[in-house]
Amino acid sequence: MAAQPKTIWDRLEDIPREILYGLLLITIILPMIYPIGFPVPISAEVQRWYNTIDALPAGSVVMIDFGYSGGGEPELAPMAVAVYHHLFKKGDIKVVTMSTSIEGPLLWEKAMLELNPAQYGKQYGVDYIHIGYIANVEAAMAAVGKSISATTTTDYKGTPLSQYSIMEGVDNAADFALLICYTTGGDQSEGWVRQWYTTYQTPYLSCVLAMMVPTMLPYQKAGQIVSVTSGAQAGQMELLVEVPGRGIKSADVITMTHLLCIAFVVVGNIAYFGKKFSGGKK
Amino acid sequence: MELASIIQIWLAALFTIWIYTIAFRDDAFFKFAEHTFVGAAAGHSIVYGVDNIIRYGWAPMTAGNMMYAVVFILGILLYTRFHQTYFWVSRVPLSVVVGIGIGLSMRTTVTSEFIAQIISTAQMKVLGLDAWTGFSNLLFIIIVLATVYFFIFTFPKAHGGSLGIISKVARYGMMAAFGYSFANTVLSRFNMIFGRIDYVMNTWLVLPYAMLALPVILLLAIYAMIPAERRPWPKKS
Repeated sequence: MAAQPKTIWDRLEDIPREILYGLLLITIILPMIYPIGFPVPISAEVQRWYNTIDALPAGSVVMIDFGYSGGGEPELAPMAVAVYHHLFKKGDIKVVTMSTSIEGPLLWEKAMLELNPAQYGKQYGVDYIHIGYIANVEAAMAAVGKSISATTTTDYKGTPLSQYSIMEGVDNAADFALLICYTTGGDQSEGWVRQWYTTYQTPYLSCVLAMMVPTMLPYQKAGQIVSVTSGAQAGQMELLVEVPGRGIKSADVITMTHLLCIAFVVVGNIAYFGKKFSGGKK
Repeated sequence: MELASIIQIWLAALFTIWIYTIAFRDDAFFKFAEHTFVGAAAGHSIVYGVDNIIRYGWAPMTAGNMMYAVVFILGILLYTRFHQTYFWVSRVPLSVVVGIGIGLSMRTTVTSEFIAQIISTAQMKVLGLDAWTGFSNLLFIIIVLATVYFFIFTFPKAHGGSLGIISKVARYGMMAAFGYSFANTVLSRFNMIFGRIDYVMNTWLVLPYAMLALPVILLLAIYAMIPAERRPWPKKS
């Protein structure tokens, strides 16, 4: 039996993926070469995040979990860098960083290269430090909350923590004014609620992959997290901190790719209903 | 720029391009990049694993804290699972690991994931707010209640007849939530692609010879995507 010729609706339903990905690639690259400059409105979550850091009193110590993996770096790093800019710009804020992700220390080093803390006169071991990757997610959070010195005695490079002035008088969750977590894992973002907010009531800011935001919003609504943002909102933070970076650059691309995505959905629906009404699909 | 950094950037860019070729068609470059990534990730994990054992186990034990010897013994016992007769011994350390994990999370789970969420929903105001917020809160409460009702499986009749409308509302609510999740997933993925393409364009392509190398790399990738029997060269005899 001869095969039926393909109708226009069949062709629309079966557009080769090479064409779809090709269009996507063009849609990403074109706004990078010729920026459009779509507006970037500041959302309530990012504003709340910014205000929380802005309200920190001088001398505060902040704990940061650099808990994302390499795959999440393009999304989360711009936000992490923008927030570090804010913390260091503010002046007398000390930042202790740890990682619940195995790749965390490497990615933190990369972020520090991008940030260049020396431009704010910040010194490693005096104003900021990385105490290393601490294994076993929630156990690590609980242990560090109880006592950093009992959990680890060295920083990520293996140097004893006792040699760094930043660690003087800083040992448990009560010594921190704020907790910030960047992560690609649900265990981490929810774990901090369980191990630090619920136990010590430490104010908590969480930055996760956009796909994780719906899971985290109930915690924000219940007041357990001050603000939940996604890495995709980094452009807004960069605007507030006045340090334009990768986040702002991505705004045009994200808007254009989403318009393309909507166009794909519309084409798919036209094909589906076209086929249905022309009698091709029951 | 240091030579090590230049090599690192070239490798990162090459692997990025090779990994993304899978979007168009499977090819040898993608396979090479994929296998290299898996190998590197495994190697990295092993190095960090050993480092962790030294930092958090061996160092305190040799410093005199002999409690860590118990942890070492438990760790070694995990490997008995590869023994045909004594594999059951591995269940002991495993049960300790699972017990600690569950104990740690359970101590606050009830407060953080049940009580706090229930209080938050119960405290939501519907009246005395602007119309949109009031409506939004009302919708939220209706969908929460309907979704909880949806998962009552003990009484099948609770979902039949006119009560079926509650399950329907719950389904629409859950579909909306899944849709929101999916849209955010798309956003995440696009952001990741942007990050890598930005790296290729603004970190690699600005290096000497990178612009010359790009067309060669792309042509080779396209060639690798052509099935072997359809390649113009080399001809199969």
